[in-house]
Amino acid sequence: MLIRKVKKKRINRVLNPWIRDLIDDYKVAGDLGVSSNLSVRLGKEVCVVCKGSRLLCGKTRCPLLLRVSYYLKTMPMIRERDLSGSSPPGVFIGRIGYPYVYAGPLVPPINEDTTVFDLPEFWFGKTIDEIVGFRSMLVRGMHRVNVRKPERADKILDLTRDLALSSLCVDVELKFKDRPKKRIVLSDDVQPFGPSALINHMNIDSSKWDRRIEKAYYDGDLKASEAVLYLYDQGVLVSRIQRAFSVGAFGIEKQRRLVPTRWSITAVDSIISNDLIDKIKGYPEINEFRVYESTYLDNRFVVLMVPGKWSYESMEAWYPGTIWNPYSGFTVMLSDWEGYHGRTEYAKIGGCYYSARLAVAEKLAEERRQATVIVLREARPGYIMPVGVWQVRENVRNAMRQRPMKFDSLEEALAWIRGRLHIPLEKWIENSDLLRSLIYQRRITQYLKGLKT
Amino acid sequence: MSDAKLLKDIIVAIATLIDEGTFEITPEAINLREMDPSRVAMVDFQWSKSLFDEYNCSQPTKICINITEMLKLLKRAGKGDSVELTLDEERRRLNIKLRGKYVRTFSMPILEAAVEEVPTPKITFNVKAKITTDGIKEAIEDAALVSDHVSIEANEEELIMRAEGDIMGATIEMRKGEGALLDLEVKEPSKATFSLSYLSDIIKAASATSEISTIEFSTDMPIKIDFPIREGKLTYFLAPRIEA
Repeated sequence: MLIRKVKKKRINRVLNPWIRDLIDDYKVAGDLGVSSNLSVRLGKEVCVVCKGSRLLCGKTRCPLLLRVSYYLKTMPMIRERDLSGSSPPGVFIGRIGYPYVYAGPLVPPINEDTTVFDLPEFWFGKTIDEIVGFRSMLVRGMHRVNVRKPERADKILDLTRDLALSSLCVDVELKFKDRPKKRIVLSDDVQPFGPSALINHMNIDSSKWDRRIEKAYYDGDLKASEAVLYLYDQGVLVSRIQRAFSVGAFGIEKQRRLVPTRWSITAVDSIISNDLIDKIKGYPEINEFRVYESTYLDNRFVVLMVPGKWSYESMEAWYPGTIWNPYSGFTVMLSDWEGYHGRTEYAKIGGCYYSARLAVAEKLAEERRQATVIVLREARPGYIMPVGVWQVRENVRNAMRQRPMKFDSLEEALAWIRGRLHIPLEKWIENSDLLRSLIYQRRITQYLKGLKT
Repeated sequence: MSDAKLLKDIIVAIATLIDEGTFEITPEAINLREMDPSRVAMVDFQWSKSLFDEYNCSQPTKICINITEMLKLLKRAGKGDSVELTLDEERRRLNIKLRGKYVRTFSMPILEAAVEEVPTPKITFNVKAKITTDGIKEAIEDAALVSDHVSIEANEEELIMRAEGDIMGATIEMRKGEGALLDLEVKEPSKATFSLSYLSDIIKAASATSEISTIEFSTDMPIKIDFPIREGKLTYFLAPRIEA
């Protein structure tokens, strides 16, 4: 199976009451527009000292306050124990307690066209405020299910699936067991969404399914991976495929499973890019050294393409103070790579490895060319909170849409890259398997010509 | 050919570097010489017709085969099975007949043969060492624990491999005539560095074909690894890494 447990870096969370104090303070509470009590769980001691005012963590803004402020805008819109609104459509399948997980719809308390709320393909260029703004309006309905029995579950899951396969917004009514909890979990690895609550009743307006997804859904002999590739070929957006994948809509009839959202994103990125890479291997190599670039949400991507057989490396450098490197005083660099034959273990840098791979593979497949690709990413302090791996996919896709700088030699390309990144080139080379191999490894061909004595 | 395992071992050894390969079949022998996709390593293989129980080839021909697929088929061969390869010129297919408790015939397509012919690198080697295959395999595994590349150096008495990783290092010494190092000829002391992923893949894959192996190298030049096989040759070349 392609689906593996995603290991994420995570910092220990301790209960920290300071933000409650902050909110209890009538002045701050006035600014934030809050009157009710709110409990908060969050990260480490530094926050207690800083209380959102001094940016001790090194970020350019306090992610906590950003989230709290949007959260507080959403809460008043949810009255009592029911909610009706227009779902983008969106669903979320949790992973805690796997194989018994919480699945359910994402529903905002508004009745307008919300399509874009769950389509990351259209988010590129939006500010972090905008993204957090509409994401925190999505209330997550939670319903406990066994992932192994998506077809034999109950009405709520059937409706959730129905919703996930819809191509347009769907009006949804939810009844909660309790009022959505006034609690913010400030875990750094979850993408932003709003409050969540257990649901005991759900109703949806008639949904209109995407014809192509519907076809794959009713084909009980089509493997899940084949369904994904078929839909991708048909031009269905990756995020739509991923959503249907997560509700167990594809695969051999008896083998269908719900897939936690997080894993399904990587599974779909991986399935599609593997297929593209197989095609790429049959194409001629590019004949110049190229450098692509894109910056978004203070993440800079520099992509180097080198003439050669397919191989791929993804490197990321986290500045002190960025999400995954909050407390150390130095930049952390991580790298993962694959040779011509691919890899057999899950990449340790996580889902972004596969998202970036999809973006570069799309480009090469479209050009019908082959290359050795190295993706370098600098996550700078302005990247105050994670928004999901879509950022990597769309950012690298954007880089691929730009006109690349072209060079005749690796040395010239590297010299250019040196000027485009903050971190010294030597650091990148030191940490990169492929770069070192490109620079130091000789080819047999160099010993065939001119050396015949 | 009476032993399918022999053929399987050779295909394993070739498949470690390449997915597709062109066999040149002449009235005297079967040859294959190919570089891996990134052109860092080369395999040079030959089997003379005397190895086979029966060998018919009236005119030289070249056939390009998907080695990975061929290996899948050959892995089906049981102990003591015999194998018969025939080329169906008309249908452009290679038939592989495995004869054991019953007879199985697989057929696979012949691919478009590449025209280019690769020469082997011509290098003056200053060091020649004969090592047990097990010995070199162990040494490479030791080095692979700490790093992704290894430097190999030799003086009159001994062969030394050094691997330097980010945090750990390893030194492996083999003295002439003791244990694994059967023989060592040194014209002048030499030292070269190689990628361990290539080295270990090659040695692991070829280890079934021969119990001893010969390595030859010179300072910062490709290494030649030779596995003496019956009625033929199996040789690899691997280009060095040169840092700074």
